[in-house]
Amino acid sequence: MSDAKSFPDPISYSAQEVPAGLAGWERMYPDHFLFGKEREEWESRQFWYLDKIHAPYPVPPLDQIFQQAWQISLSQHTTRVFCIPPAQGVAQRMVGCYQYICAVEPPPPEVIAEKAPLFEARSHYPVDHYDELWDQWVNRVIALGREMEEIHVPSELPRYLPDSEIFPNDFRGYTQAYELQEAFSRATDHLYKAWQYHFNYLNLAYLYYLTFFDVAKTLFPGVSDGTVSQMVAGAEASMFRPDEELCRLARLAHEDGRVAKVLKKDGSAAQKIEELKNMAGGRDWLEEMESIKEPWFHVSTGSGWYYYEGSWVDKMDIPFDYIVHYLGRLEQGERIERSLDEIHEDRNKLVDQYRKLIRTDEDRDSFDSAHSDTRVIYKYAEDHLFWIEHWFHTLWWRKMREIGNTLVGAGTLKEVDDVFMFNRFEVPELIEDSVTAWALGEGVPTLDWTGKANQRKKILEAAAEWTPSPALGTPPEEVAEPFTVMLWGVTTGSVEQWLEGTGAKPGEVDEIKGFASSPGAAQGPARVLKTAEEISLLQEGEILVCPSTNPSWGPALGRVVAAVTDIGGLTSHAAIVCREYRVPSVTGTGTATSVIETGDIIHVDGDSGVVSVVEKAS
Amino acid sequence: MVYVQQLSQLDKGQVDRVGGKNANLGEMIRSGIRVPPGFAVTVDGYRRFVEHTGIGEEIERVLAAVDVQDADGLDQKCGEIRDLFRVSDVPEEMADEIYASYESLCRSCGQESVPVAARSSATSEDLPDASFAGQQDTYLWVMGAESVLEHMLRCWASLFTARAVSYRIRQSFPHDKSWISVGVQKMVNSKVAGVMFTLDPSTGDPSQVVLEGNWGLGETVAAGEVTPDYYRIDKVSGEINEERIGHKHIECVPDPERGRANTVPVDADRMDAPCLEREELEELVRIARRIEDHYGSGQDIEWAIDRDLPFPENVFVVQTRPETVWSNKKVEPLLSRKSSSELLVGRALKTIHVGS
Repeated sequence: MSDAKSFPDPISYSAQEVPAGLAGWERMYPDHFLFGKEREEWESRQFWYLDKIHAPYPVPPLDQIFQQAWQISLSQHTTRVFCIPPAQGVAQRMVGCYQYICAVEPPPPEVIAEKAPLFEARSHYPVDHYDELWDQWVNRVIALGREMEEIHVPSELPRYLPDSEIFPNDFRGYTQAYELQEAFSRATDHLYKAWQYHFNYLNLAYLYYLTFFDVAKTLFPGVSDGTVSQMVAGAEASMFRPDEELCRLARLAHEDGRVAKVLKKDGSAAQKIEELKNMAGGRDWLEEMESIKEPWFHVSTGSGWYYYEGSWVDKMDIPFDYIVHYLGRLEQGERIERSLDEIHEDRNKLVDQYRKLIRTDEDRDSFDSAHSDTRVIYKYAEDHLFWIEHWFHTLWWRKMREIGNTLVGAGTLKEVDDVFMFNRFEVPELIEDSVTAWALGEGVPTLDWTGKANQRKKILEAAAEWTPSPALGTPPEEVAEPFTVMLWGVTTGSVEQWLEGTGAKPGEVDEIKGFASSPGAAQGPARVLKTAEEISLLQEGEILVCPSTNPSWGPALGRVVAAVTDIGGLTSHAAIVCREYRVPSVTGTGTATSVIETGDIIHVDGDSGVVSVVEKAS
Repeated sequence: MVYVQQLSQLDKGQVDRVGGKNANLGEMIRSGIRVPPGFAVTVDGYRRFVEHTGIGEEIERVLAAVDVQDADGLDQKCGEIRDLFRVSDVPEEMADEIYASYESLCRSCGQESVPVAARSSATSEDLPDASFAGQQDTYLWVMGAESVLEHMLRCWASLFTARAVSYRIRQSFPHDKSWISVGVQKMVNSKVAGVMFTLDPSTGDPSQVVLEGNWGLGETVAAGEVTPDYYRIDKVSGEINEERIGHKHIECVPDPERGRANTVPVDADRMDAPCLEREELEELVRIARRIEDHYGSGQDIEWAIDRDLPFPENVFVVQTRPETVWSNKKVEPLLSRKSSSELLVGRALKTIHVGS
């Protein structure tokens, strides 16, 4: 570790280094997410780094709920469920609206010894029974989601209860006041439960992956990380479906020339839907679309962590734009569908070729055993993503907006989305204050929730301008926790890079490095996109530069010659899709969207993981 | 007696007659791998010469008195032996056959006096466990029938360099059972040349092709005279996992007038520029895989890219031989015969050392 620099102490950093424009940020989050004197000794000893994967931007208070939920679920599955011996959980703290995480230091040796036999006994079961367990998992998640959808949020706090709700047959015994309180309470419970489900097999899947990774690197020291990942990853059945449905709808439209014509016009999705309603073929097509919107259009247009990103279902322009693009390709005679079978075939062929190079039968047996187990359980790593981060989150935000809408109607909030400015412990207070004022009668004030919401919006804006330290506290000697290694890619190299600082700005840096995620090299003009809304700006032959690609952006990758992301490793969706499209990519650069500008001519080398700025945009 | 065989007629069953190198070239041609055309003068030619001139006894006499420790004495005695190999002593019918083969080669290459390489290929040299390689001589840029004959003799004579002789003595290899064949092959007018291994020679990793190249003829790379461009490419995926462009300050270029090759400085723009295009790298890797699949074991390959022909016809294999270092090591299972569960538990207990 370099002597010259070290990371700031978390407690003092948190107390002194957050810019003045963010004053008041501490009150946005629950106390146990703040660094402070009470836990100082322990906190200073851990190694905290910015969680750019789950919280790439400042975290709005209510959006923090996902992070809160996963802190518990991820950690418990490691420590209490599967008992991975030297690993403990991943802890979180907030500083200036940014999220820091740490892999909790290992437990004492006695505890490690205690856990080992438990781990050994439990770890193979999910692989042996995967298909059955997966079916059970999907069913319980879907059941939970449906329950959540059915939570009734009263659309208003009525001035007077209507007759229909008073008289004997229909009097429930409680009013909309209670209903609103219960709605939030139940929705929250469901959200936490969904996140409990989220990690049921994930920790194990990652551990299996890491095991296979070691196997491949032992047998083939020179093989690239990306190739290892290709041997077990990339057949994401659930994340595929949304795109498959887009292709299917494009094909249906293509077969009915009139529908295709309407879709290809300029105009919004809403306008096109109106027009299609007036055509026989159009109505049929719309019916098809309606039938698959739930669940397959519940795809986040961004990272899946922020209320302001939205999903395809509420931003229909996005899937429509993809469909039109696919239509164009169909008209050129291209095949647009990607067959999962083909992908499996290709992967088998690839693995087979490496297998043949193994020198002993014993090693080949070990390889086969590790490979087949990993392939089975790794499906979970890819499939769970759609159901929780995309589908379930979409349902959650919809429910929250229903609540926000009712609060706006009640006069407590000015805008529906203001509800996201309060954390999950504050929202019950917000609701109670609101229903109390309603209950108390006419002319009774509530606290100034709107003012508070506005103040917090300003704090979040100020936070977006600030670049916090990439890490805090004491760099670790060892890391055992599987997510830390795999997802966040914490290695000695990355820690040193952080030590050197990542506060670079455009024009200052002409070369950045990341994971060599998809082979090949390409050069072209960069298009820096921060949100999926801007996808339609992407031209053929450009190079996509974005925080991370999301399943939502998959179809766009067919247009570009390369892709560069801020976050995401070799097993990330970005890497997988780029490999499928045979588009060179470099992921996890950390800083691409900060140092590259739209129009810069850049060179992307997907073999070495290097992106260079050849010429700045004029 | 057959003194000359076309390379395309050879296969591995003929190692005894034409040596490992030449037999290999024949095998490659049969598997559709591009090698420069040529012919081999069989060991029967060598033995006929020895018998015809009667120098066998001379050689025996001289070698009997050799003292390996006496370097000067050894040098002198070996020099004496080499002097016994004279062009004028080559039997006429053999010389005629060789001249005819060379002329035929010239015609098929469309050149009046095609430059060739004369390479020694001892029948014991390329046995996988005997690294005689390089003990005998190679002559480049030889032109004209007479010169071919002359260099063939020099190749024969190279069996008796001090180095070769002392090597055989130390390995207890009988001199009179060491025979030599000479391969005569069109010189590739190399724009770029080098070597490649069908495994990583530094780790034994069987999934990688390691390739080194320099401008000009391949001798600078094989002899280690220059820091070549280095590539490590995944055999299956084709990814370039490592690339180091060397400072290529010299190259070996043909000097047709003098009938040899010269080492000259490389001009400034090419010194630090990559000497290979991506498509050439891909073709070379493809060839490496093909060769390895054919032989079923690790290979050490010399390649060259001819500046006079279009891609990909200009990508040639000059030579291939078995890789000896890793392929001969006793292989123990690297994963200790563990099953997936055992490996998983092992991994679960592992911690990654992050700090230094």
